[in-house]
Formats: sequence, C-alpha cells, structure tokens
Amino acid sequence: MTNGPALVLGIESSCDETAAALVTSERRILAQKIASQDDVHAPYGGVVPEFAARAHAERLAPLIEAVLDEAEIEIRDVDAVAATAGPGLIGGVMVGLVTGKALATASGKPLIAINHLEGHALSPRLADPTLQFPYALLLVSGGHCQILRVEGVGRYQRLATTIDDALGEAFDKTAKILGLGYPGGPAVERLAQQGDPRGVPLPRPLVGKREPHFSFAGLKSAVLRAHESGNYAPADLAASFQQAAIDCVLDRMQRSLETMDEVTALVVAGGVAANTRVRTELEQCAASRGLRFVAPPLKLCTDNAAMIAWAGIERFAKGEASPLDVPARPRWPLDPGAEPVRGAGAKA
Amino acid sequence: MRVLAIDCATENCSAALFSNGELIDGRCERLGRGHAERLVPMIAELPDKGRADRVIVSLGPGSFTGVRIGLAAARALALVWKAETLGYPTLALIAAMAREAHPEAVSVAMTGGHGEWFLQDFGPDGLPQGELASLPPQAAADVARHHRVAGSEAEALVARRGSGSAVPLLPDARYVPLLSSSVLLQNPAPLYGRAPDAKLPAAS
Repeated sequence: MTNGPALVLGIESSCDETAAALVTSERRILAQKIASQDDVHAPYGGVVPEFAARAHAERLAPLIEAVLDEAEIEIRDVDAVAATAGPGLIGGVMVGLVTGKALATASGKPLIAINHLEGHALSPRLADPTLQFPYALLLVSGGHCQILRVEGVGRYQRLATTIDDALGEAFDKTAKILGLGYPGGPAVERLAQQGDPRGVPLPRPLVGKREPHFSFAGLKSAVLRAHESGNYAPADLAASFQQAAIDCVLDRMQRSLETMDEVTALVVAGGVAANTRVRTELEQCAASRGLRFVAPPLKLCTDNAAMIAWAGIERFAKGEASPLDVPARPRWPLDPGAEPVRGAGAKA
Repeated sequence: MRVLAIDCATENCSAALFSNGELIDGRCERLGRGHAERLVPMIAELPDKGRADRVIVSLGPGSFTGVRIGLAAARALALVWKAETLGYPTLALIAAMAREAHPEAVSVAMTGGHGEWFLQDFGPDGLPQGELASLPPQAAADVARHHRVAGSEAEALVARRGSGSAVPLLPDARYVPLLSSSVLLQNPAPLYGRAPDAKLPAAS
C-alpha cells in the first residue's frame, strides 16, 4: 500500500448500465464512463437480462481501458479493484465480477466485492465530505425501494422496503402505460410538468398505515385503469401519478423517521433521486425536522461505477479484501437481520 | 512464448499454461455451475499466476454465461499483461481432441439450449465443413455426416441414428495446442450459437 491517497478502480454491471471509474480516497473522480444500454432494451419496454449480460460482456473491457487511458493511469498504479458482486441480474454481475477478479489477480492488487446497494448507500459520502454516520437513507431506484439507517460501513438497519414494486419500477410502468418509452422516469417527470397533480383520483397505498413499508402495485394498476377509461389526459395522469407516488414516499419517510434512532441527516440516493420533485419534497421534509438534507449529484444517483469505487475505498481503508472465489449474488440484503417482508423478494 | 488457454463454455472449467506449445501446468474440473467462482482462482494456481503473452479463450457455443465468464477473464488478464487475446469455437476444440485418438473426419454434437444440440462437421484436417447449427436432436442425427461423432451428445446422437462410433468429450483447455491456427479468431467475441430468449412485445 502506498502512503498517498488510495486509488480504486470501480466496476458496475448489475443492471443495464456498464460502468467503470477511478476514484481516490480524497474524493477525486479521476475518470468515469458509463455505457448505457437503453438502446438495447427500449424496444422491449424493460431490461431483458440476457441482452444486458451480452452488452456488458461486449462493452466492459474497452470501457475500463478508456477510463485508465483518460486518467493516464496504469493498472499497476491502482491500489485495489472494486466490483459489484450483487444484488442484480446475475449474468451481468458475473461479467463485472469476473473481470474484477482477473484484473486483481493479474495486477497483484486486492479485490473488493461490493454490494451495489452499499454503493448507493455510501455515495453521498463521496459527494459530501462532511456527511457523518449515522444518517437516514431513502434508497429509491428501478429495482430497490428502502429506508435504511446507515450506521457505518457495512452496518445498515433496514426500516422499510417495498412489498411489491420499487418506486422507479412504478415510474417505468407508468411510462409504459402512457407510451412514453423506456426508461420512463425522466419522461414521466417531464410530462407531469404540464399536467394537474390532482386531476386524476389515484390511491396512496399504505399511507397512514402502521406497517412501515412501501407498495406501488395498486397505484400502477389504478393508472392503467384510469388511462383505459379514456377520461384523462396523459399529462394529468403523469402529474397525478407522480403526486401520489411522492405522497406515499413522504408518508413512509415520516413514519420511519419517527421510529428511527437519532441521525445526522436525511439522504436520498438511487436513480429516482434524480427526480426534482422528489428531491424538493424530501428537502422540505428534512427541514421540517431540523435535519440536514443531502442528495448526491445526479450522475452519482443513477447506477455508476464511481460509487462502487468509493465503497471500495471505504472498505479498503478498513483493510478489507475479498477472496477470488467470492460468488456473484442475485440477492444480497444490506441488513440480513431485517425481518422478512411479504412480497419483498429481491427488493428486500 | 507463453500461452494461457481458458475454456468455460460447458460444465467443464479449465485453464492451462503453455511455453512454446508445451504444457507447463493445467487444470480441468467438471463443475456444472460455479465457473465465476472457480475460474480465476484456478488461473491464480498456475505458475506465475498464469502470466502469458497470449490468452486463447473458448468463444462457445455452450453455456451463454460460461462463455461470457471465460471471455471476461481473458480480456481482463490480457489488459493487465498487455497480451494478445485470441478465441476459438468450442466445437473445433472437441474435433481436435477427437482427432488425437481417431485421425479422421468427425461430427461434433454438443448440448445446446431448449433441448437442442449444437452440431458441426469437421474434415480429417480438423477444419469445419459447413456452418454451426443448433438443431432438435432428431434433425441433428439426420444431418450429421460422419461415422465418428464426438462431444457431450455423441452417444445420444449415435443411439438415435443407429450407426456410428461415439467419442464422449467435453472441452479441455489443456488440448488447445491441437487447434489448427486457422480456427483462431482475433478480436474475439462470443459465439452464442442461438438467439437469446426474448420476444418483442406485440404491437398494440
């Protein structure tokens, strides 16, 4: 190990973004690249796992070379290789993890297998050096929807998860119903700006309930029925859906904050954190409770490799490394001790 | 020149290191599953952790996942070592392995997906005759041209056809030097051998 700042190569391939990044322990992102697969999956209206795995296999190695070239870094100058080992679509995870293992063994550097969710959970600390543990985290993406108390590296208490769809999934499905294409989140947000958020009566599943979890399947079905009725304009449907989703998120967030031990900040991460209305409303929620609000920059919210490299740096600093036979995991809860939730499945 | 060969396209997982064509050390394990866990440790067990000037990897067809694992490892190793990467079709290695004991033309039949078999004929020179096909077993038995049949479905094909001589084989990287240089491909990409299981949604 060198005495200077640590330098970690991060690799991400757990869903539909192939990504590589070089990050230092001084929070400098020396280079990062993301190859989106939207073009591959768009005709299917969602991610097709086999196509995703094929695209990762094709794109990852050239992407890593490009990142090293851009930063003018040789792999021997890297202190560790961090690769996502799950949870996610297993075919893609394997491509990234095996690539990381081979880079690590050939260069004689440690491998650090990273939980993709931990990448999201710690990414706010990459963006904000002042953010201290413990903090409340709303993790919202296409595959995950959780409220966690982040107590330290590797120490997470899960307070809530979804019993059916993830929040980003609900945005994507609404986009599909409205014919807005894939990925749907940004498209729904854009269309919602022109609509009436109270124009369509839609349910707020689980709002006000004692159980802390999320549910979005009923909301999505209600959007479908309202759309099929022909009585509503698409912009009003998008705006009303977004409002209902945000009402659910705020209610659930408040519920968890009431039962959670003290925290230093309210943090949002994951792809849906790129939604401006979600950010604004959460900021107000934090302010009303006298909490700091932290949201990473947009490029660190959606899937990326800088957050994987950063999680690698946090674990490298603790002297951790993974064996070369570490498995790829389709499921990998951040809080294995959390009570199982009906319907939660892989999103737990 | 040192060459590292990798084959994880089937239930076999194998890696072998050669110096000027001579085997230094190699491993071949019948795993079924778990190539993503075993392959890189297997390479790390080789002398100099398998370090080579050239990496030769199986491109398939076989298991989609296995093919990708082998290729991902090969590309990453080559990136660090600044080595050349070459690929070969899995069935060509089976044909070359069969020719060792039986120097004659051979049909290669390997387990494919959805109950189909990958089939390709090879001449006595070890070179492919015609294109690779993914066929239902009976169709494969009907079109396989040669008396001798090698591969994971060799016995099944001979039984179905009622004639011929079967050489049950799975690919093993330790035999890669048997390959004719003309089957080695530069800028290797997977040979999946059949389309992925995805259907476009019906137009509405």
